[in-house]
Amino acid sequence: MPEKNRREVDRIKELESINLARDEIRDLAIDTKKEVERDNDLLAEQINKELVNKGIKSIDVVGAIGAGKTAILEKIVEYLSGKYRTLVICGDITTRVDANRIEKHNVETIQINTGRGCALNAYHIHQILNNKDLDNYDLIFIENVGNLICPSDFKLGTDKRITVVSITEGEWVIEKHPMLFKMSNIAVINKIDLAERLGTNIDKMVNDAKSINPNIEVILTSAKNGKNIEKLIEKLEL
Amino acid sequence: MKELLKQLDDLISKEEVNVEKIQELKKELLKTHIRGLKIDNYIGDYPTFMEPVILGDAVKIGDDVLIGPDVYIGNNSEIGDYVEISNSIIFDNVKIGDNFKLDNCLIAKNSKFDFNNFKGNNCILKGIAKSKNELQIISI
Repeated sequence: MPEKNRREVDRIKELESINLARDEIRDLAIDTKKEVERDNDLLAEQINKELVNKGIKSIDVVGAIGAGKTAILEKIVEYLSGKYRTLVICGDITTRVDANRIEKHNVETIQINTGRGCALNAYHIHQILNNKDLDNYDLIFIENVGNLICPSDFKLGTDKRITVVSITEGEWVIEKHPMLFKMSNIAVINKIDLAERLGTNIDKMVNDAKSINPNIEVILTSAKNGKNIEKLIEKLEL
Repeated sequence: MKELLKQLDDLISKEEVNVEKIQELKKELLKTHIRGLKIDNYIGDYPTFMEPVILGDAVKIGDDVLIGPDVYIGNNSEIGDYVEISNSIIFDNVKIGDNFKLDNCLIAKNSKFDFNNFKGNNCILKGIAKSKNELQIISI
């Protein structure tokens, strides 16, 4: 992430929720919050180092509920079928619905139910990977809890991050959620098969992503008919 | 799975424990029988589960609890707030206080730990204890 973006992300992180702390605990709340964030980042770095050492590629996928994260992952693993020994870690507040969908494509899945937690964090991933023989995998996908806000607080230690939005969320969705796009390598704008019917201004969405993060790759996809999934895989260097 | 659980339960309930056999059975149980998420009957407020996790009937779980991976918790057991459990087997009718962090542990049936703040790794825990000092801890 460029230094300017990193500073802005840090500034926003520091501002959020500390105002809830009463004066007596304000200093402690700030110190604790910073320490926890630092711990998460250190753990994420450690995870990435371990995965890279083992030659495992890792990608995390974030986006709102219903944007099409699972559908895109289904298409990717179907397309890659057999090329990699793949593990998909799915985050949801409850249920195993997404993991079950992906498992149908003969890929190993692990479900994390975060309960009240609105995002996965590095500790979740560390615990899961700690419990696995990493020599058995070449590729790990992490599908985060459906949310366009919380996942920006927690790095997971992956090589690349994809943020998925869909045109059904409206053309302002990227402009309204800049944080995740600052932190992502690829923005996927999904459900373009509905473009004609919805009339969403897709050019605005692309321009918003590019102006928030000039380095981001933007790909228009339809997980439904498979359009540009191949291109996405190419950008992921898989 | 029931048979393995019973064998383990018998082994850890004895005065002299056969650590090697316990480890072997625990490994077999966790790796071959504990799969996916079977968490339908718990009582509590949305803890975090990292599969594989299997819960028995009427397990009570406190706030801000993280369970998994590789955890079995038996019927009518009660887990306090801010507890984290991984790679562990907890038998029936166990009660654990707040802020326990357990990894690679077995807790014998009917154990009651009426105190808070405890970290346990690679051990069998048993007894009725109102403090850490009263706890029976056997390293495995």
